[in-house]
Amino acid sequence: MLTTVKRSILALAAMSALTAGYALAQQATLVFTAIPDEDETRLVERFTQYAKYFEGKLGVPVKYLPVKSYPAAVTAFTNNQVQFAWFGGLTGVQARLAVPGSQALAQGEEDQQFKSYFIAHVSTGLKLSQEFPKGIEGKTFTFGARASTSGRLFPEHFIRQAMGKDPEKVFARIGYSGDHSRTIQLVQSGAYQVGVLNHLVWEQEVKSGKVDTKAVSVIWETPTYPDYHWVARGDIDTSFGSGFMGRLQAAILAVDDPKLLAIFDRKRFIPANNDDYKVIEDVGKVTGLIN
Amino acid sequence: MDEPSSRAFLASPRAPTARGEGEGHAQGAQVGAAPHPRPLPARREREQDGVVFELRRACAGYDGRPVLIDIDLTVRAGEHVAVMGRSGAGKSTLLGLLYAQRPHDVALVPQASALVKPLSVFHNVYIGRLDRHSTAYNLRTLVWPAASEVAEVRGVLASVDLEVEIFKAAGALSGGQQQRTSVARALYNGRPTLVGDEPVSALDRIQGSEILALLKSRHETLVLALHDVHHALEHADRVVVLEQGRKIIDEPVGALTANDLLRHFGGEP
Amino acid sequence: MKRLAFGNTSLLFLLSALACLTVADIAVTALNPWGEMLRLLRGVLRPDFLSVEAWSVVWTVAFAVVGVAIGATAGLPLAILFPRFAGVRLAAVVLRSIHELFWALMLIQVFGLGPATGVLAIAIPYAGIFAKVFAEIIEEADLAAERVLPAGTTAVSAFAFARLPEVAGRFKTYTLYRLECGLRSTLVLGFIGLPTVGFHLEGYFKQGRYAEAAALLAVFYVLIGTRRLWARPTTVPILLVASLLLLPEAVGGGSALANLVRFITHDIVPAPLRGGDLGSLATWGAFAGWLQPIAWNQVLPGAWNTLVLAQIALVGMGTLALLLFPLVSRRFMGRVGQPAGRLLLVVMRSTPEYMLAYVLLQLLGPSMLPAILALTVHNGAIVGYLMGRHADALDYRADAPKGLNLYAYDTTPRLYGQFLAYNLYRWEIIVRESAIFGILGVATLGYHVDAAISELRFDVAVVLILATVAVCALIDILSRRLRKALRLSTLATRLADAPA
Repeated sequence: MLTTVKRSILALAAMSALTAGYALAQQATLVFTAIPDEDETRLVERFTQYAKYFEGKLGVPVKYLPVKSYPAAVTAFTNNQVQFAWFGGLTGVQARLAVPGSQALAQGEEDQQFKSYFIAHVSTGLKLSQEFPKGIEGKTFTFGARASTSGRLFPEHFIRQAMGKDPEKVFARIGYSGDHSRTIQLVQSGAYQVGVLNHLVWEQEVKSGKVDTKAVSVIWETPTYPDYHWVARGDIDTSFGSGFMGRLQAAILAVDDPKLLAIFDRKRFIPANNDDYKVIEDVGKVTGLIN
Repeated sequence: MDEPSSRAFLASPRAPTARGEGEGHAQGAQVGAAPHPRPLPARREREQDGVVFELRRACAGYDGRPVLIDIDLTVRAGEHVAVMGRSGAGKSTLLGLLYAQRPHDVALVPQASALVKPLSVFHNVYIGRLDRHSTAYNLRTLVWPAASEVAEVRGVLASVDLEVEIFKAAGALSGGQQQRTSVARALYNGRPTLVGDEPVSALDRIQGSEILALLKSRHETLVLALHDVHHALEHADRVVVLEQGRKIIDEPVGALTANDLLRHFGGEP
Repeated sequence: MKRLAFGNTSLLFLLSALACLTVADIAVTALNPWGEMLRLLRGVLRPDFLSVEAWSVVWTVAFAVVGVAIGATAGLPLAILFPRFAGVRLAAVVLRSIHELFWALMLIQVFGLGPATGVLAIAIPYAGIFAKVFAEIIEEADLAAERVLPAGTTAVSAFAFARLPEVAGRFKTYTLYRLECGLRSTLVLGFIGLPTVGFHLEGYFKQGRYAEAAALLAVFYVLIGTRRLWARPTTVPILLVASLLLLPEAVGGGSALANLVRFITHDIVPAPLRGGDLGSLATWGAFAGWLQPIAWNQVLPGAWNTLVLAQIALVGMGTLALLLFPLVSRRFMGRVGQPAGRLLLVVMRSTPEYMLAYVLLQLLGPSMLPAILALTVHNGAIVGYLMGRHADALDYRADAPKGLNLYAYDTTPRLYGQFLAYNLYRWEIIVRESAIFGILGVATLGYHVDAAISELRFDVAVVLILATVAVCALIDILSRRLRKALRLSTLATRLADAPA
């Protein structure tokens, strides 16, 4: 019995040594991730193209780490499992708060003026309006992922502003679909009467014919706010040589292959800095999503 | 499953204090009264007298129901004692008290054979000497027994006519074969005193007789619970009969006839 | 406790479930699910097997094998200490009451998204389960031989010769059965990002790519349905070595030690206590102010919803099992029908509850109902399968009736005690499994854990997870008491113990 105990301890010790060994051996590889905000299939396939691109530009081995959820992306960043990442507005702020010294490097041109669409099932009778659609009160409502900027944070902010109370008190029921595509599905099927999502995903899915526009339509466009951006850890220069962060930023800004840009559905990337996202931190604090 | 009475017998052989309980009851009973109301003479003194076991006014009970009442019994080295009585008379409890007195000197044949059924006959016999080897050697024997060990066990098994079955799983044996394996385990253990609870109950009279003769030839002192009067008269030199927890007969074999015994309990003629 | 009759107990549970139904959050609101359902059906009918990524299947097996192996190895010493130390029993309860999903979410904080997280997320809760089950097996074993060992035998020799051989066979059967659960657990690991079948399954499912999802599910059913063929005592060493070699490589990674230190000394420390003066009353006042809303707004309603959900699902499971079990019994279905029934129940119990609930969410709209039905179907199939095996193991008299008469007058009454034993045993399991539905928006404790983790508030998550442990422990105690009062304690409760 004692031997079994000893053996298990040894095995565990060996395993942690192995893990630590892995960590050391892998440190020279630059790893990045991206929040999974839409089509999660072929994630590896799509982002490996970026890994190849960065490898060519930066001269270090680059790998992509697939993640399944917004908090997992932030955690990978906090743990230094990835050194840079494509975050949403809120996740980017969460990541930078967790790893002091981190820098916002770039955003898509569209991300300066991002917006969300409120969508509703046809049976609600709600129509497109310029004003906040107060008729959504008492309906069932789904956000996207809990930590989504366009699927949760700003919509919640605007709801609070317009209705003067918590979303829990505005709606008959609240759900979190997990991602933008699924929000469309759930409202289209009538599972939820009203939902909210990233405007780019809506337009893309409408274009590709996945949306039954007879069943679901946009009822309100939110005011604009800053959203997605690339963030790098503050200690990336210590790990990969001084000036690395600058080279990385230059490499991101230099992406001009339409195929690569299409992966993010952006026209091009432009420089960004932490101050651009101050408003998100403020709104996050007001809504209680950030301490 | 073994019978509850054997559990009673086997309640806790390694604990120094006796634990008795009524036959026919589940294990875990408590001893009602202390088995040694008067202090025993010092061990040295007893050994000089050749005393192996000694009970004085011993009592044991289960749930307040007495199982043994005021038993006085002294067994000296070299004696062959048969304990008889109806089922429930307290035989197993008595043997349990005796075993608890000197577990280090006793080889045991419990009532139900108490074998480790998934293990081979060889390993079940080897178990009789687990205390004499290092733990490491025991573990090694479990996986890869030494040839010398196998040879020795084979010899013991030959004496109970089980040589061929040596590497069979004990659970695959017949009841009689299991009982002989249990006897072989005690023989292999080899301690001078043998305490056996119905050690030949699953064998026919002739085979049982051979086994009892074998046990007599290998052990100096024997205390055996028996139900066959003929076995008792043939192999014991002293017969103790229990009835409802009391000792009613304790005589040398020469003073008894089969009918004397049959009157007191329902053995087969 | 007074002896309870089987009928009274069943009635009690039935009534409590009905009472729960009246207060439960149940609604049917979906307006037009048929478009999506049609696409689902089309996908299921035309599975796209070419899209199945072979490595994800390999990794699914590898995670399950290594996780279960470590869990069993760690569970054995715990099982030996289990009856002696209350601390070990408590530790086992805590380990197994926390759902694999939550273990994985916490382990990611330390080991990152890699093989160590995947393996440990299975191994840790399974160690707690193995400790309990192995301890039960040891307790039930025939230990007559241990009492005749020669005086002076060492404890290790005694264990190796008198105990281990008696229990080794059942350990083996149970561990191999557990591998099936391990395979199911890897799906959950996929949902959070480890590269198992679950990873792709969730992705396809979310995107409505049902042909690909159906192919993956079919592969998964085959994996589970053939488990007895490829996971045998003789193949275990090969499986184990191969799995260790084939586990996915870790991608990137900071220092696990640094992460662990950060996680323990910062992340899970309640926010008001971080860097606060622990001697000052103000700190503890702030702590109380922090804890109170969590307790009132999350723990209590979450626990209530969890219990309500579990109660209804429990009775649903029992009812379904009673209806289903003849399907897997040869006595009722004959030689031809029985394999078909078996296949149906394997599919029902192997379909991840999460997927089931998601389909039902589309059909019925958001409420507790999809979760209840998903739990009912999954667990009902398990209990039904077990009951069917018991039904065939019964001795029937030569002139036994047939069909419905046999069912109503013979089999069901004779198996009713066994049926209750299984139901009571799975009560706690249902409570634990209900955690995963939080992600679907049912406001169980799991819902609030999901929220806390999304907001990166691990201190809150830990409070909520401890609350789930307490609820599970409570149900476990209640179930044990009831089984004792009903004199069901000695009946089989585990899949591995059902008659073959």
